[in-house]
Amino acid sequence: MIVRPTKFPASESKNLIAFFFLLPALAALTLFSFCPMAYIFLLGMQRYNPVQGGTFIGFQNYLNLFRDTNFWWTLLNSIIYIAVTPVLIILSLCVAMIIREKIKGRKIFRTIYFLPVVTPIVITGIAWRWLLNEDVGLLNFLIVKSGISAHSVHWLTQYPVNLISVMGVTIWRGIGYYMVIFLAGLMGIPKELEEASIIDGASWFQRTLHITVPLLKPSITLVFIISSISAIKVFTEIYIILPGAPIQNKTLVAYMYQTAFEHFDLGYASALGVVLFLFTLVFSYMNMKLLERGSAP
Amino acid sequence: MKTISQLFAYSVLIFIALVMLGPFLWLISTSLKGTEEIFSWPPVFIPKHWQFENYATVWNAVPFGRYFVNSIIIALGTVTLTVFTSALAAYPLARLSFPGRSLIFTAIISTLIIPQEVIVIPLYTLVLKLGLADTLIGVMLPFSTSAFSIYLLRQAYLTVPRELEEAAMIDGASTFRIWWSVALPLIKPSVAALVVLTFISSWGDFLWPLIVLRSPEHYTLQVGLSMMVQSLAANYKLVAAGAVVSVIPVIVVFLFTQKYFVSGILMGSGK
Repeated sequence: MIVRPTKFPASESKNLIAFFFLLPALAALTLFSFCPMAYIFLLGMQRYNPVQGGTFIGFQNYLNLFRDTNFWWTLLNSIIYIAVTPVLIILSLCVAMIIREKIKGRKIFRTIYFLPVVTPIVITGIAWRWLLNEDVGLLNFLIVKSGISAHSVHWLTQYPVNLISVMGVTIWRGIGYYMVIFLAGLMGIPKELEEASIIDGASWFQRTLHITVPLLKPSITLVFIISSISAIKVFTEIYIILPGAPIQNKTLVAYMYQTAFEHFDLGYASALGVVLFLFTLVFSYMNMKLLERGSAP
Repeated sequence: MKTISQLFAYSVLIFIALVMLGPFLWLISTSLKGTEEIFSWPPVFIPKHWQFENYATVWNAVPFGRYFVNSIIIALGTVTLTVFTSALAAYPLARLSFPGRSLIFTAIISTLIIPQEVIVIPLYTLVLKLGLADTLIGVMLPFSTSAFSIYLLRQAYLTVPRELEEAAMIDGASTFRIWWSVALPLIKPSVAALVVLTFISSWGDFLWPLIVLRSPEHYTLQVGLSMMVQSLAANYKLVAAGAVVSVIPVIVVFLFTQKYFVSGILMGSGK
């Protein structure tokens, strides 16, 4: 349903009142979003250290990026990380389709699937780091015992296996969240359409492929955008699960953090931040358009 | 036919439930083990003697109570600030007509394209200049509002029947009064959703508190735990006990407010 904003008669004092309502939020957004966003471009053109301050060096940081193999590796890893998105779409859509059937205890299942979503990543990361431990971890035990693999897998130390391990944790954590979005999307599909296809003799697979999935396109687009943005921004999982791995095995945000807060090169780290911003911009722009469409009169 | 497909659905659902719960159960099991059991091969699933003293040990070894209090202060502070700024700002955007309204709304929405991770470095220099580095306020303040929460509450105000506000206006109530006693009480469910979402995300936040907080007595639970993992790496039973303790508040909040959490996600996604 579309609700139009009410038109009250405008007057000088009304404008002033509106301004006072908006003031705290606008002040906070200006100070903590707009200003830092503008400032990162300035910082990116400096050699900046919190103690000594900054020196202007033009585009030197960006030129250095081109020759920095760590940058290219971490950028590549961040691109690889986006591969969690199609997996998440397929898995959470499947889970949503099973769970929406009239099944006893579906609420309990839904709650259980949601636990990883609400639990802080630091905590689930600690649990997974121990499960993935190469010498005494449960996962290697199960894999060797069941005969899937003859010897233990180097979950944490061998590239790109270690990156894929962390991607697995991100998928594990995301299924419940995207399932909720798909469940809401599925509720919006008219029952008659699916029932008609059953009468026409369509199999479950045909029905899903030709009716359900096309009708779910808005939800799929939404999940695609949200999940891709969070994949690009991933940091905590990497920090907790792969603390000892070399930076070339990690992602862009991890490299930015290391540059700024372990090497104290805030200027170079800001240049990395600008690249990160441009990278997320494509997806965030789509997201903004989607929200605007949802609210437009 | 029906029972077979139901059986299949159940086995899939139970399998996924085990995968989802597995890491939590393993964490609890590890937190109750003795040192030999942690490193035993094959792994021990249920410890022989439950070592509840692991919990006492970790509580005494690390200023855990302190971390806990800091996390609570930051989460509640962030919730209060966010609800205050967004409930105010969203109202004129939905209900009052004033010049530049759609421009301001677009400007607010446009901050959605700025991920927190991108601006942590300039934010850090700002917090340094304000003298708020290594303080709880420094952690909270940058998150005192968000485009998402303003958007969410604006959508909620739009669904309030405008006759109620018009009636109050005819009775001579001021705009502030109408907002406080007519509009705000009617969007309580959305405010509740915002409270729950903000609390859970603030409780789990990691990168920003990790950057801002330097001294252990200011650490949040997440930062404290991440430091413990490094310093007590071999002492996994203690780390596990700490993790179990710090996950309890989130799970309790979630179980009691699940409805709001889910509706918040859906409102935010434009449903």
